[in-house]
Amino acid sequence: MTSLVSVDAVVLAPALAPVLGVVLVLVGDAVRPGRSRWALPLAGVVLVAGALVALRGSLGSELEPLRTLCLPAPDGACLWTAGPRTSTLQAAVLLASAAALALLHDGRAGRRDTAVTATLLLASATGGVAVAAARDLGSWLVALELATVPVVALVALRGTRSAAHGALSLLVTSLASFALLVLGAALWLTATADATFSSEAVAAAWADPDRRRVLVLAVTLLVAGLGFKLSLVPFHAWTPQAYAAADLGTTLFLAAASKVSAVAALLVVVSALVGAAPGPAVAVLLGLPAVASLLLGTVVALRQDDPVRLLAWSTIAQAGWVVVPLTAVSATGLRAAAAYVVTYAAATTVALAVVARTGARTLAGTRGLLRRDPLAGGALGLALLVLAGLPPGVIGLVVKVLALSAPVAAGVWPVAAAGVVAVVLGLAVYLRWVAVLLARPEPADGPGEEAGDTAHGRSTRVVVVAGTVVLVLVSALPQLLVGGLS
Amino acid sequence: MVVSLLLALPAAVGLWLVSGGRALPVRPARLLAASTAGLTLALAVLVAVTRPGVDRAWLPELGVRWSFGVDGISVPLVLLTALMGVVVTAHAWVEVPRGGTPATFLGCLLLVEAGALATFTARDAVLFLVAFEVVLVPMWVLIGRYGDARDPRARTEAAQRFVLYTAVGSTTMLVGILLLVLSAGTADLRELAGGAGAALAPGTQLAVAALLVAGLAVKVPVFPLHTWLPPAHTTAPTAGSVLLAAVLLKMGTYGLVRLPVATVPDGFGRLAPVLAVAGAVGIVWGGLVCLVERDLKRLVAYSSVAHMGFVVLALASGSQTGLQAALYANIAHGVVSALLFVLVGGLKHRWGSVDLTVRRPALRETSPRLGFVLLLGLAGSLGLPGLAGFWGELLAIYAAWRPADDRPGAVLLSCAVVAAVGAALAAAYALRVAGLVWSGDRPDPESPATPDTVGVERWVLGGLSALVVLLGVAPMLLLSVTHDAVAALGGAR
Repeated sequence: MTSLVSVDAVVLAPALAPVLGVVLVLVGDAVRPGRSRWALPLAGVVLVAGALVALRGSLGSELEPLRTLCLPAPDGACLWTAGPRTSTLQAAVLLASAAALALLHDGRAGRRDTAVTATLLLASATGGVAVAAARDLGSWLVALELATVPVVALVALRGTRSAAHGALSLLVTSLASFALLVLGAALWLTATADATFSSEAVAAAWADPDRRRVLVLAVTLLVAGLGFKLSLVPFHAWTPQAYAAADLGTTLFLAAASKVSAVAALLVVVSALVGAAPGPAVAVLLGLPAVASLLLGTVVALRQDDPVRLLAWSTIAQAGWVVVPLTAVSATGLRAAAAYVVTYAAATTVALAVVARTGARTLAGTRGLLRRDPLAGGALGLALLVLAGLPPGVIGLVVKVLALSAPVAAGVWPVAAAGVVAVVLGLAVYLRWVAVLLARPEPADGPGEEAGDTAHGRSTRVVVVAGTVVLVLVSALPQLLVGGLS
Repeated sequence: MVVSLLLALPAAVGLWLVSGGRALPVRPARLLAASTAGLTLALAVLVAVTRPGVDRAWLPELGVRWSFGVDGISVPLVLLTALMGVVVTAHAWVEVPRGGTPATFLGCLLLVEAGALATFTARDAVLFLVAFEVVLVPMWVLIGRYGDARDPRARTEAAQRFVLYTAVGSTTMLVGILLLVLSAGTADLRELAGGAGAALAPGTQLAVAALLVAGLAVKVPVFPLHTWLPPAHTTAPTAGSVLLAAVLLKMGTYGLVRLPVATVPDGFGRLAPVLAVAGAVGIVWGGLVCLVERDLKRLVAYSSVAHMGFVVLALASGSQTGLQAALYANIAHGVVSALLFVLVGGLKHRWGSVDLTVRRPALRETSPRLGFVLLLGLAGSLGLPGLAGFWGELLAIYAAWRPADDRPGAVLLSCAVVAAVGAALAAAYALRVAGLVWSGDRPDPESPATPDTVGVERWVLGGLSALVVLLGVAPMLLLSVTHDAVAALGGAR
């Protein structure tokens, strides 16, 4: 008991890697200011290295999670606890951030703010990784804000008027959500008299009717605060605007990495409730926004003509899907939510990378893509089918089965019924786009599309190929993904 | 091993044809597709004889296993599917529809075949659902891209309607399967049929059966959920129609036998009267529509609704004879409707449309071979003794007349009477079509004669006609295969 807390650098590596990247980028920029074209590739390498370390943790067992930052015994609480599920989510955050970097790299060749971009993105990724493993209110809040705030700056960096508007709405949303989260955390502390997310404290609080009321209010506020980050209806309004206004790389970061870290944060809260807080109260709290997101997101997505806006509304619907299994408040529900969000992030990454590669701003711009550019068209088609949950995107179907099995097992029938409706409406949304991909290409738009192709070069191509390989692999062997989330 | 190969072969070649080999010209593509389908048929025969199985872990967390195998109920359907694979790929020598590359078209056909084979051999409830969904996208492409070239809008609409209706059905079924699997604690269909499902509480059984029946009824299709079928058939290319009628609809009836009937017999028994009435109404409804329908392809589609009514009625009767009748009528309809769709597709190709109000020279005079096959198909469809359709319908009405003890006798008895009237309607519309097309008008020397069937088309039609006759004269060939498995199902109750 020589030191105050134990520190295991290897366990912390997924978070330390992006921090190291930030330091390297900043030092490099200080030494040779303005000539930092290497910043984004360096950040990418650091992120992938961190992801590889995190994936090592996915192979571990739930009973012996990787722990560090532990307080001295006898209390022995650990501020960083990463089981296989957490590790997989961390790897997903890091890989999605790397994909976003790749798109940013291709999109802004010759821009001067690459060091700033790399720093912001790495900082946000650090927050996303840390929040997944945080088990106490303080680190959880700080990590969550670290994951959010840099993104506002990333959106604003584009410098256009609409980007400023998007950043502003994102900023206001973040502030509101931060206020809700802080209040929720305070109420949680009041109710459970414990600054960590622990099932025992929740169970004790749940047994006492007065404290239970406070705890329900705390959970309400925490869900609302996270609802902003997850784009759950009714906290979704910023999503389409910010998506459409930002660079596609930033949009990808918002759609994939940010969502995974928000879900990781939500899972920290819900896992403390599992087994400790039964009853319909939590199911209603989570079920209402889930059902609203499923239905509103899919219906509005049906009418979109801009691919980015369509994906934005699809994000809202998919966020509903992520929360669907959590309404069961069970261990299987946690796994299903994690599996769903990782699958969603992979598919959305591929879809946005293809949109960046083609430069299409309307659905018609991707007409006949399957014939003009089989790689991009095939990847986009597969990603959309995964999102729709139709074979050959088997993994999409598997995670939908997992997501629905939790509420069915717990008897949360309204949510299951909304899920059935959302599956069918979702098919209409995604197949509408797939039909455009399959259509005969129009002869006139040949050369125009080629220009879009050169704007986004090799890095985007790598993202498309790598993402497609991941989707194909986990479609053939879903166990690869689901097994790492127990 | 052999089962894996049976599924992997059409799937792999199909996938390659729609991705890497898309640009393959029509000649090598159809040679490849047809030889794949031929090999698959050989493998299917091997599987039917040796009955091997494969069983591996797939999703241990859910208790889902990669488990494929066949029994007496699935063997006829596996053989039928593999045979239809050969028919549709051989039909590419007759006609390859436009709308995309020929390789993609053939690849989609093979993918549908692979998905159907996986559905019929899956021994795990969740795996069954995944396989059930596999056929959706390739069939959607077949209807939406390769369908009737004259009306793109109707094509898109029919394809969308097909996908969305089927998706409503399969998602409802998914919830039912999940409820069944989670409450019984196993996803293995053999264990579920062996008593794990029957041990559930009556309320759960009823809920499971209701969800499963509602979901599968869309695919069968059972009246009033049949409205996706006629447009899909009308616009689909000939090969797509054949697969739709002979294979996809069978997935619905097979699912009914495998899931609700076998696993939750008591729950299904309580729903049986509703299903019987829906079946009987479907028989009469289909027959009445056929009496006035102008489009021959749509007419055959509506007659499918009527025939599926017989299958559903037989299932609802709850007796062993009923199950046998359902399985027999299933196969018989598959063969007869495949024959009719190949024929009608050929007529549409020759005439440009198959509108019955257009007066055309008599088929029996201009092209006697086509005329003969048309008569044979119609006779098989109306259930003439000695042809395939007869035994299924006769046994179905008999089974409804003598239902199992726990079924409401009066309801099923009246359904049997209604079904018999429906069978008479079938004779009426078959004669109407024969009168308009087969005997038709006097041949006008100036109008172009309908070219008779030659080449591959003749072989396809000839083979299917022979099968229609064979099933009609020797029904025990099929009934003896299904008998033991049906008895095992009956014994589990």
